[in-house]
Amino acid sequence: MRRKKALVAGISAATLAIALAACGGGSDENGGSDSFSNVEGAGGKNPEAQGPAPDVPGAQTGGDITVLAPDPDDGPTSLDPAGLWSVTDNAIAQDLLFRSLTTWQQDPETGEYTLVPDLATDLGTPNEDFTEWKFTLKDGIKWENGDPVTAEEVAFGIKRSFDADTFATGPGTAYSKPYFDGGDKYNGPYADGDNFPAIEVDGNTLTFHMSSPFPEMDYYGIFPAIGPVPLDAKAPDYGLHPLSTGPYKIQQYVPNQKLVLVKNDQWDPDTDPARHQYADSFTFEFGGDPTVAAKTVESDSGSTTLVTNVEGQDYTAAKQAGNDQNMVVGPQPCTSFVMPNYTKVKELEVRQALAFAYPYEDVWSAAGELPGVTRANGVTDPDLGFGLLPPGMAGRKAWNPEIDGETIQFDPEHAKELLKKAGYEPGEYEVSFVYDATTPQGKAGAEQRKLGYEQSGFKVKMYPYTAGSLYDVWTDPENKLYKKINLLGTAWCQDWPSPATFLPPILETGAAYNTGQFSEKSVDDEMDRIRTLPVDEQADAWGELEQTTMTDYQPVINVGYYQGIFGVGSGIGGFNNDTTVGGAPDYRTTYVK
Amino acid sequence: MGMTLPTLDLEVHDEVQGGPELDERKGIAGRSPARIAFDRLRKDWVAVVCFVVILFFVVIAVFAPLLENLFGVSTDTVLASTRVDLVTGLPKIGPPNHGFDPSHPFGVAPADGTDNLAVWMRGCRTSLLLALVATVGSTIIGVVLGLMAGFMGGVVDAIISFVIDLFLTFPFLLAALSVAPILNERYATEPEKLGNVSFYVLIGILVFFGWMYVARLVRGEALALREREFVKAARVIGVPTRQILFKEILPNLLAPIIVSISLGLPSYVALEAGLSYLGIGVTGRESWGVTINTATKYWETYPLYLIEPVLGIAILVVALNLLGDAIRDAFDPKTRR
Repeated sequence: MRRKKALVAGISAATLAIALAACGGGSDENGGSDSFSNVEGAGGKNPEAQGPAPDVPGAQTGGDITVLAPDPDDGPTSLDPAGLWSVTDNAIAQDLLFRSLTTWQQDPETGEYTLVPDLATDLGTPNEDFTEWKFTLKDGIKWENGDPVTAEEVAFGIKRSFDADTFATGPGTAYSKPYFDGGDKYNGPYADGDNFPAIEVDGNTLTFHMSSPFPEMDYYGIFPAIGPVPLDAKAPDYGLHPLSTGPYKIQQYVPNQKLVLVKNDQWDPDTDPARHQYADSFTFEFGGDPTVAAKTVESDSGSTTLVTNVEGQDYTAAKQAGNDQNMVVGPQPCTSFVMPNYTKVKELEVRQALAFAYPYEDVWSAAGELPGVTRANGVTDPDLGFGLLPPGMAGRKAWNPEIDGETIQFDPEHAKELLKKAGYEPGEYEVSFVYDATTPQGKAGAEQRKLGYEQSGFKVKMYPYTAGSLYDVWTDPENKLYKKINLLGTAWCQDWPSPATFLPPILETGAAYNTGQFSEKSVDDEMDRIRTLPVDEQADAWGELEQTTMTDYQPVINVGYYQGIFGVGSGIGGFNNDTTVGGAPDYRTTYVK
Repeated sequence: MGMTLPTLDLEVHDEVQGGPELDERKGIAGRSPARIAFDRLRKDWVAVVCFVVILFFVVIAVFAPLLENLFGVSTDTVLASTRVDLVTGLPKIGPPNHGFDPSHPFGVAPADGTDNLAVWMRGCRTSLLLALVATVGSTIIGVVLGLMAGFMGGVVDAIISFVIDLFLTFPFLLAALSVAPILNERYATEPEKLGNVSFYVLIGILVFFGWMYVARLVRGEALALREREFVKAARVIGVPTRQILFKEILPNLLAPIIVSISLGLPSYVALEAGLSYLGIGVTGRESWGVTINTATKYWETYPLYLIEPVLGIAILVVALNLLGDAIRDAFDPKTRR
């Protein structure tokens, strides 16, 4: 989900979206697994799924679960459904608090995730060209106070997602406003009133009118933003005490610090095909000391504690002491890229040389990451390759070709040969980039990168940046540093396991996070063509496009897939990787042993 | 009782009675307060030990590049994988998991493999250079303004005292915090300059917020000295003000100034480390504070990495402080040792 803080941006895996994923199955079986290859598939659909959700084998009810989301993860500033768009926050909201039109259901046997109806009776009915969607709501869904959830309230909730001022960080800016008919001009019910013809309510049925084909409306339905909000909700305050429709409700909420959830007795398991109500309560604590959090699970003093992110050093310390049995390593559906500015770095050979000039493992190590554990790509495991799509994505094939007789790795000599092919002697071609100088690790990583480029025959200029996120520079052509550099970057995570949430934002001409300004008409045309293909052919077509684009243009250099480390107390059962949300504990299946 | 002139009496007494041998007496008579203090210091073994320790650090700071060559180490970046075990992020040579490695006497840093000794010596250089320049700077400003205020009195004194009070109310940390981003923005496209500029601006900030203490001290002393007979006598016989200030008053202020310098140095060393730890100190230079910031995360797996800079700061600051105390004691006529 959503962009990530890039590797080059510093040590912490991500400040915008922190969550780590693990492989399916129980924690004990997967403890310490360092492999990227066992990612559970996701992306199938089952419009017939009915509640209650399939039982998790061995699950018990009762008990209290504590979840620590340590610094730099500050947790939700607000729990307003329309504003939720980060890994940690959405995992909590989607799994426990808010129901939406659709949701993900996990198969307890295989660990695979399937898209199923949630508030709706099915996955929606699109018209021929996906410009109109109809959803019918189930009966018997109630708010935590016992009032029935109405279609008007769902429509109101969705209309709120168009409010780009109040909910600037919400997913509505990326999907509601561009795809709904007139969405670009409508700014939500608070600013522009309730009259928005693109969303029609007729009894129990909602009809959406799109401005362009949106075949993935059913996937978009998993966001809490595509769910109900009481008609009398005030804009900013509602996020402090929102009403629950899910299996848990809020008992205490201190923004960015603490969230206590208890069972919601108005939630009816028979209407919900995905969620459970195993534990008595969930207590979330945000922004704590990462080392304290790691110690809590390492020593098992908090046996019913989950930690969403264990830092590399703490993992190493636990491993050296032989105490890593409560730590689980797993992938996140995110990829970090170096993006050469396509208008400045014009030669394909130079971009390929850059792939051979990047000292992958050295940069990761210096930046505080553990190669093969928290960062990985074809360097640590040839099966992962160096492509765009992260492991687990539908239609993905690892891209790891031979370029002039060598597969990609840090190889200064081969980089020099490629440079020579492009007509440059060593020391002639200058590359320049900006790095995060707010932490010593950010600087150390950049120094390694510089050294690698230099050894490969590039002239290097690097600029420290401390004023904020590197995206400030990368996405702002007016920035004075932007004008100086020719290597940019992005770290991107999926919104749902479809390449359509991944390739266009990176490769399409003019896309906001296509920071390298990559632009090829043939690629743009192919993307437009794929969008009109039958849905079941799209995944493979996207996968094919990834292969050809990488081979023909090398528009980006893959500098690592993300992987994270969870802490799972020995008393926690049913722990699962939820890659659908971006890689967070699956709170739906978690229980106390 | 008749009135006698004491000097006369003394003279008579001297010449008639003799007393201690002439050479010795001349020696005593010719000793300045500074000389007395220095003799006392020489006999104070704590002061001597501290002086030797400080000298050791000064030698390291001054000859850091030479010493690096001598030990065969450097602060240059090397590919991490050549020195660091990529699985754990810990060094594959030297501590903590391997024996002493003579090519890296202090070991190498985890994660990126930079040599610890080279970084440590450069950190020492940064610390001492910054502390020295900041102390000298703030002392000069403080002495000049303090002397003016104390000696001239009246409106000048009122204005300078007000400025001192004003500066004392400024929150120093806030200034340090706010200047860093301004500089980073200004020199964003010239990283080579940024390193030097930020270093000297940091010194500037330390001086800017450090001179008031010296100024207040000097002003108080100058106020008292102004009323003393020898100063009044000098004025009466028409000695120029400049000469009164530098020949009559300043020598008598030597003791408090030296004491404030010797106590100011260690506080600047600690301040530099603290600011660098917070990430608003020196950029583009090695610093003990920066190393400590990185090393706290490795306390469990690689304690030596943290201990080295901490020991550096601790020993240097304690030695400077003890020497400062000894100097103050030595200048204080009331001290009995």
